[in-house]
Amino acid sequence: MPPSPALGRRTFTRRTLLTVSAAGLAVAVTGCTSSSPADERNAVTDEQADGLAAQVAVQQTLVQAYDLAFQADPALAAAAGALADQAGEQLDRLRDAAPDSTSSATAPPGAPAPGQGQAWLRTQVAVAATSHATAALDQTGARAALLASIAAGLRGHEALLA
Amino acid sequence: MADDENTPMATENAALSDALAAAHAAVWGYGVVGAALPTDARAAAVAAEDAHRGIRDALIALLGERGADPVLPEAGYALPFPVLSAVDAAALAAVLEGGVAAAWVRVVDGAVERSTRALAMEVLSAAEVRAVGWRTAAGQPPVTRAFPGLQQ
Repeated sequence: MPPSPALGRRTFTRRTLLTVSAAGLAVAVTGCTSSSPADERNAVTDEQADGLAAQVAVQQTLVQAYDLAFQADPALAAAAGALADQAGEQLDRLRDAAPDSTSSATAPPGAPAPGQGQAWLRTQVAVAATSHATAALDQTGARAALLASIAAGLRGHEALLA
Repeated sequence: MADDENTPMATENAALSDALAAAHAAVWGYGVVGAALPTDARAAAVAAEDAHRGIRDALIALLGERGADPVLPEAGYALPFPVLSAVDAAALAAVLEGGVAAAWVRVVDGAVERSTRALAMEVLSAAEVRAVGWRTAAGQPPVTRAFPGLQQ
């Protein structure tokens, strides 16, 4: 198996330490002198902090996609409102984990045709899930766990929208 | 030895051992699920059991390669509630998948190897997709979860 980037050289900054403590999923890093496995996994490089911030933008785009799909297909809003709520909860948790995120969401590609909201939304959910899952591979510790859980949750959305 | 037990790889192996224990429980539990379902509704349970057997076997091989003793299945398991109907069976399956998801989130949290995170992502997502189907069958809205495997 290839070595993990988790054990590579790291740069520690105040921003990255804040990012870790905000993740709230494991032991918060209070300094960079500890060498316990949990501290090691939850220490974060600038690259990892930037990567997590990018996923905030991905999730923002997905939340917008839910809104667009519901506008195009009001019946979908009634059936899938809980999914949109969950997407919003995921966004909140990501923001908590990346409090200094300044990434901007990009608008979802196009807009669904009337009556085609579900299929279009399912595609947007799949794109976001794949993005989070891919990003999780480059994270470690609590950040990786959060992204992995969100990606799995979105796979569940995708299945329900099929 | 204490140092060995505190290394990142030891932490990853411990998480994988927990995931193996969850796989053992799922394989056992799906036997109960299948028995409580009508014959024409057992395909999903059989497929799920096969999936967990595959993960179980992969974990046993992986831990063995690493010199870690794979955890054995328990001699017996306690059901969380009586399983007397197809709805009970679906609810049990959802519980089993939830247990598996929680174990694999811990694997992601404790993983050192990128390949371990990739495996965990695959298993975690598959567990949640199955769980959505079981929660639907059990009538447990909302049938999706924002954070499968994580405490909310």
